[in-house]
Amino acid sequence: MSSPVLQATGLTKRYGRRTALSDCTLSIPPGHVVGLVGPNGAGKTTLLQIAVGMLPPTSGTIEVLGGQPASGPAQLARVGYVAQDTPTYAGLSVADHLRFGAYTNPGWDLQLAADRIAKLDLDPSQKAGKLSGGQRAQLALTLAIAKRPDLLILDEPVASLDPLARREFLQSLMAYMAEHSASVILSSHLVSDLERVCDYLIVLVASRVRIADEVDDLLATHRRLIGAFRDPSELPAGIEVIEASHTDRQSTLIVRSVTPIDDPAWTVEQLTLEDLVLAYMSQAATDRESTLETVR
Amino acid sequence: MTWITWRQFRTQTWITLGCLAAIAIVLAISGHDLADLWTSSGAAACHSHCGTATNSFLTRVGRSFNHKIFNLSTAVLYVVPGLIGIFWGAPLIARELEAGTHRLAFNQSVTRTRWLVAKLTIVGGAAAVTVGLLSWAVSAWAHHIDRANANRIGPMLFGARGIVPIGYVLFAFALGVTLGMLIRRTVPAMAATLTVYVAAVVSMPLWIRAHLVPTRHLMIALDVSKLRGIGVSTGDGRMQVEGGATPANSWVLTNTTITPTGHVFTGPANLQLCGPDVGTHACENWVGSLGLRQNIIYQPGSHFWSLQWAETGTFVVASGLLIGFCFWWIRRRLV
Repeated sequence: MSSPVLQATGLTKRYGRRTALSDCTLSIPPGHVVGLVGPNGAGKTTLLQIAVGMLPPTSGTIEVLGGQPASGPAQLARVGYVAQDTPTYAGLSVADHLRFGAYTNPGWDLQLAADRIAKLDLDPSQKAGKLSGGQRAQLALTLAIAKRPDLLILDEPVASLDPLARREFLQSLMAYMAEHSASVILSSHLVSDLERVCDYLIVLVASRVRIADEVDDLLATHRRLIGAFRDPSELPAGIEVIEASHTDRQSTLIVRSVTPIDDPAWTVEQLTLEDLVLAYMSQAATDRESTLETVR
Repeated sequence: MTWITWRQFRTQTWITLGCLAAIAIVLAISGHDLADLWTSSGAAACHSHCGTATNSFLTRVGRSFNHKIFNLSTAVLYVVPGLIGIFWGAPLIARELEAGTHRLAFNQSVTRTRWLVAKLTIVGGAAAVTVGLLSWAVSAWAHHIDRANANRIGPMLFGARGIVPIGYVLFAFALGVTLGMLIRRTVPAMAATLTVYVAAVVSMPLWIRAHLVPTRHLMIALDVSKLRGIGVSTGDGRMQVEGGATPANSWVLTNTTITPTGHVFTGPANLQLCGPDVGTHACENWVGSLGLRQNIIYQPGSHFWSLQWAETGTFVVASGLLIGFCFWWIRRRLV
């Protein structure tokens, strides 16, 4: 259980001249609910599609659960995937979908699938095309988890759902996770969706991985410092400034530091996960601007 | 995989079985009638010099409803492979790509290759069996008419008899699947399939079929009593003569009239004998005195089956190449 569920080295995907994912190096330890956050178009879907073998990378290597993505039936059986917009066969009934899952997956858990459908109050004879967005997402999730994967990958599973359906979907995902020891990677462009469920976070902005770590560690090492105006470069070594904003008299810094900060000149504040992600996103935006400056 | 393919294909199967049953009933009833005509016209009992009997049979067929069934069933054998390519082939993968359901299908514990194998075998097999049965039924039904007409090798009937329709349907199906996979949209893929299928089936008798099996060559003295036509240009005396003697039960590819020196005969005409005011008889006699010969290149009726195998083989190989491309594409390029 100690080998990583996903190990990527220098993973890059280009579409013509556009780079969707650039030089992504990641090692995700097993047993986590991993949140993959980033703005729209950051490369989240690209990364996840490479991980399930839907897309071949342009360069770099990736191993998922120690194997090549989609390299054979055994690998496919170990990874469950719910694609963006949770596709289902509109003309097939809920029961047909379950039968489809049973016929195409050797490890199909009939009981689990039947229980979930009953608990969700879905009519087995209903055509999938007539289901609501939330019900369809739940059906797609049922298909993905009843094959009993070791890793479940969900691409923006709640993006199209209303807040109530969102909560129900994530709750049923968590209920499954609690019962079965599987790893989960789910993406969203909203941190608030993932805050309650993730214990590992990857921030992906403008095709690059900004940070990837356990949520507890992230919260323990990131701080907001408020104090009299100061040049950030004067800070002692070991403190990395993620975001800095200054007024004439006051500086507000968001920093990353492994060691505690005991400088009395600073007021040290805890960060929420959302603050932290936003800081990394705006750092990426500043980087881009400075790159443009240099180009000019 | 077998189950889901069958489940998605269920409606088409029932529709097809319904149509086949309806066609079988019509052919059975009318076939009974045809057999009666064959016997009553005397063609059944005839063993040699049966021209009169078969002509009488054909006249009676022409007057009955069987004539319409004959034309319709021949057309059906060209149309059905196209329809199968459009309605079974093109949507097979395009519809999955359009709806995004391939992302669901490709992430079950079944590789893409096996997924495609199942779809192609089941639906493609059903296509071949459907058209095979249809062609067999029509060929059997039209057996007496084709024999009396002795034109099964002719360019129109050839593609609607024997095993060639199976080649057409395999090609149309593989074409639909490939175009659907590349275009990724069902309706444009259907239109593209129709266009390419029609082009392929039309270009076959026009340019390709004649060369699949070596042709026969016939050089005979021009028989002026059997001329198909004489054309004279009164201005410069240029002349065209088309001989009417052709080998029985054959597909004539070229029929030219040549001079004793081996050139194509173009006149000049003797305008005193072949002018507008003179009867055709004098002109014919004059043409007969020139020692012209008729040069015929043709495919004889005995080449029917070798041509059938060659044409079917051509389409099967084309389908194989398309399918091979599909497997490569689905493994390497399809997202």
